[in-house]
Amino acid sequence: MTCSDVQRALPEVLDSSPNGTFASEFEDHIKGCPDCSDLLSDLKLIASEACQLAATDEPSPRVWLGIASQLRAEGLIRDQAPKPVLVPTSIGRRWGHRWSALWLAPVAAALVAAGAYVVNHKPAPPVAKQQTPGTSAGTSAGTNNEVAATPAVPPAPAPAPQELAQKSVPPTNVVQPVVEPEPSADDQQFLSVVSTRAPSMRATYENQLAVVNADILETEAYVNRNPGDIDARQHLMDAYQQKALLYQIALDRIQ
Amino acid sequence: MAGLRRCDSFMVVAVVLASCFAPAAFAATKEYRYTVGPHANISVDTQCGAISIKPGSDNLVVVTAVFKSDNVEVDQQQNGNRIEIASHLLHGTDQQNGQVDYELEIPPDANVTLRSSTGPLSAERLQGDLTMEGADAVVTVRKIENAHVHVRTMRGSITLTDIRNGHVEIASISGDIHLKAVTGLSVQVSSGSGRIFYDGDFGSGGDYRFITHSGDIEALVPADVSAGFRAHSVLGRVQHDFPLQPRHSRFSEEVGRSFIGNAGQASSEVVLRSFSGKIRLKQR
Repeated sequence: MTCSDVQRALPEVLDSSPNGTFASEFEDHIKGCPDCSDLLSDLKLIASEACQLAATDEPSPRVWLGIASQLRAEGLIRDQAPKPVLVPTSIGRRWGHRWSALWLAPVAAALVAAGAYVVNHKPAPPVAKQQTPGTSAGTSAGTNNEVAATPAVPPAPAPAPQELAQKSVPPTNVVQPVVEPEPSADDQQFLSVVSTRAPSMRATYENQLAVVNADILETEAYVNRNPGDIDARQHLMDAYQQKALLYQIALDRIQ
Repeated sequence: MAGLRRCDSFMVVAVVLASCFAPAAFAATKEYRYTVGPHANISVDTQCGAISIKPGSDNLVVVTAVFKSDNVEVDQQQNGNRIEIASHLLHGTDQQNGQVDYELEIPPDANVTLRSSTGPLSAERLQGDLTMEGADAVVTVRKIENAHVHVRTMRGSITLTDIRNGHVEIASISGDIHLKAVTGLSVQVSSGSGRIFYDGDFGSGGDYRFITHSGDIEALVPADVSAGFRAHSVLGRVQHDFPLQPRHSRFSEEVGRSFIGNAGQASSEVVLRSFSGKIRLKQR
């Protein structure tokens, strides 16, 4: 049995215990080949970790139902669709080399779900319109409508009762320097798979991941300070979608 | 004289030897042909290499694959009206050594999916749906009508020109996005840190949404544009040099950070949103 035979058989071996002469040949090769042995142990680890992902920090069932109904409405899923599996049991040989990154798909979906969860579950106190005195929707009409930026001038919220007690709070739209975010467990796993399957791409994905994580952190910090800012909430959702996009691109490309 | 002749001989021998021992630039070409019916589905997937698509005859797909190495194979299959082509690196080959460039001539109404990590990807003069994806691929799309155009990149820049009546969805993490004369019922564009530049008239009856996190957004429009605009940057600067009519909106306006208004009959809706990038609407 060659390395390439072993790699082709890995999905089936991981999914079900082989027996007979195939099993003994497979075991013999694994024992004698450190590369294949390492690959097998890595994949077993990834598969087991991926199975545990669903159990950690799972949003409420309502979030999943909302996503499912949206996907159904867009025709992306059907009710009778087969259950997704992390390790497909029968993948054509030609495409078999892709299977090991499939765990990224539920992770990407979970990211979007987490984004929706975070955005939708931020406490939103009653907030009056953030409207600068003297301006209205109509003031930009006319020809003199080149508007200059007014940096560091915070919006002037109407004094809601809850906010009167917080008058000493500093301007809310001044962004504090964002600390470089630590990669999460998902990110570590993601980078680990990239390292295994496409080592030359690790630095690129790591950089992009750091940028996307910084965007999420920055937006999240702003939303925490300005929970009534609907646009900022939407940007937080967008930032999570960017991260999901990164995972999806990796899913498509890592082989 | 004899010395000169000897010198010439040495040079000839040297050139011959050099050409024998120099690394040969591998390039082999294969052509694949498929007969298809209307609205065929064609998918091309290469880990490294360019893919370009042009319209050809109505029922014939011609794929020319240019191999830059012998360490890569092409898997190709046709199932009815569906054609799948994919590069397959042989064991131990990295992406750089497994480049295959593809040129396709396809029926104009075919639906196409193209994937390449490095690109570039290009398509032109088609009427079928188009999906293009690539991490670092530079994507160029020209002269597409009445079709869905979906593009996703990680860092690659995206340029769309002359897209008429399209359903356009563009997403990039850090690539710049240029749209020139792009119109349609739905044009959704998003980039994280990349810049979005639009030059066009926003058509009629369309819904346009341009969103960035830190990238700038700039829209260049003619004086007779007919669109309702809403622009807002949470932390960035927003400006326009365009005479907008006031309009009622549930969104409030904040000087320097947002503007809301109509131009002409406001037949299209345009939303420009950024978290920290600058937004500018300019008259052409």
